[in-house]
Amino acid sequence: MKVDLMIEELRAVLQAQQARAREIAALPGTSLLKRPTPEAWNVLEVFEHLNLSSGVYVRGLEEVFARKAASHRPNNDFTPGVLGDWFTTGLEPQPGGGIKWRMRTMKMFDPARNAGASLESITRFIDFCSRLLVLLEKARTTDLNKLRVTSSLGPIIRFKAGDAFRFPVAHQRRHFLQIERLLAMD
Amino acid sequence: MDLVRSTIQRYVDLSDADWQRIAPLWHERAFTKGAHICPAGEVEQWFYIVKSGVQRLSFFHEGNDVCVGFAYDGSWCGEYASFVSRKPARFDVKAISDTVLVGIRHEDLQRLYSEMKIMERFGRLILEELLIGRAVREVEQLSLSAEERYDRLVQRSPQLLQLVSQKDIASYLRMTPETFSRLRRRR
Repeated sequence: MKVDLMIEELRAVLQAQQARAREIAALPGTSLLKRPTPEAWNVLEVFEHLNLSSGVYVRGLEEVFARKAASHRPNNDFTPGVLGDWFTTGLEPQPGGGIKWRMRTMKMFDPARNAGASLESITRFIDFCSRLLVLLEKARTTDLNKLRVTSSLGPIIRFKAGDAFRFPVAHQRRHFLQIERLLAMD
Repeated sequence: MDLVRSTIQRYVDLSDADWQRIAPLWHERAFTKGAHICPAGEVEQWFYIVKSGVQRLSFFHEGNDVCVGFAYDGSWCGEYASFVSRKPARFDVKAISDTVLVGIRHEDLQRLYSEMKIMERFGRLILEELLIGRAVREVEQLSLSAEERYDRLVQRSPQLLQLVSQKDIASYLRMTPETFSRLRRRR
């Protein structure tokens, strides 16, 4: 795939998510705390889950870009890695708005087992999106095939930098469907 | 927002014109169970009224979380000493159930104090109330037996027993969970 097109696509999604997150942050507190069942996440916990997961890629990309981006020549072609592509397309919502398979969250990404969530979680989400947008600009100047980032699936699975952008954005899209469902609930 | 107006009006009378200046400065903020409202070490920026949920004030001492107070519907919440002094909070303020607070920022409340005499009076009255509450608790801590402390709590805030874990209440009453459950069975 062409890197410039990929960047434009990811940028549009991230900007839309940021705008929606700002609207959601202004909603009454009770809407943000609604749970479909006592154990299920509310909107704030979904945002915190996204922070825990996307944070891995934002920090990983920032680190590897700072250290190594300059040592590779710009390359406008990106070939997704086998695992990176498989996980990303598996997450991606289907055209009809459904999801392909359900997944269980690892404990380390479950806000209810960590430090809880608050309005602050939405603010930090917006900040993570901004950092991804800055990283996307830097992506033009290097080779996304050559740089690698540890994935949120554990230290054994490392994604190519291009997949380290695609995965969190697809993951966020998937959870935005959940957020809209939660907000539409009575 | 009716909650904020009626809470302030427990202390002072507000005209509609007063309220129009005050209302826009209060913001609703939601926290899920387990979330920090103000972590120890940070400066508290907010003064809150509890709309829903239960919160706990505690500090960390020799490996234990020592509970010093609770807040629930209609009460004040936040790390008040830090809010007033602008120094790092000594206490951790945490939501122990899903919580909605309505809060005002420090600079906004200060502005209301300096611009509206009635709000300055409100500020003095809540400070007096907090001070008296602290004094009563201090005397109770030092003079009452474990059993008497338990009885006072049941008398003053019976709902707490339903809302808060036994471990936290025992810590609040300065007794072991074993003593607490023994006292509880006795009743």
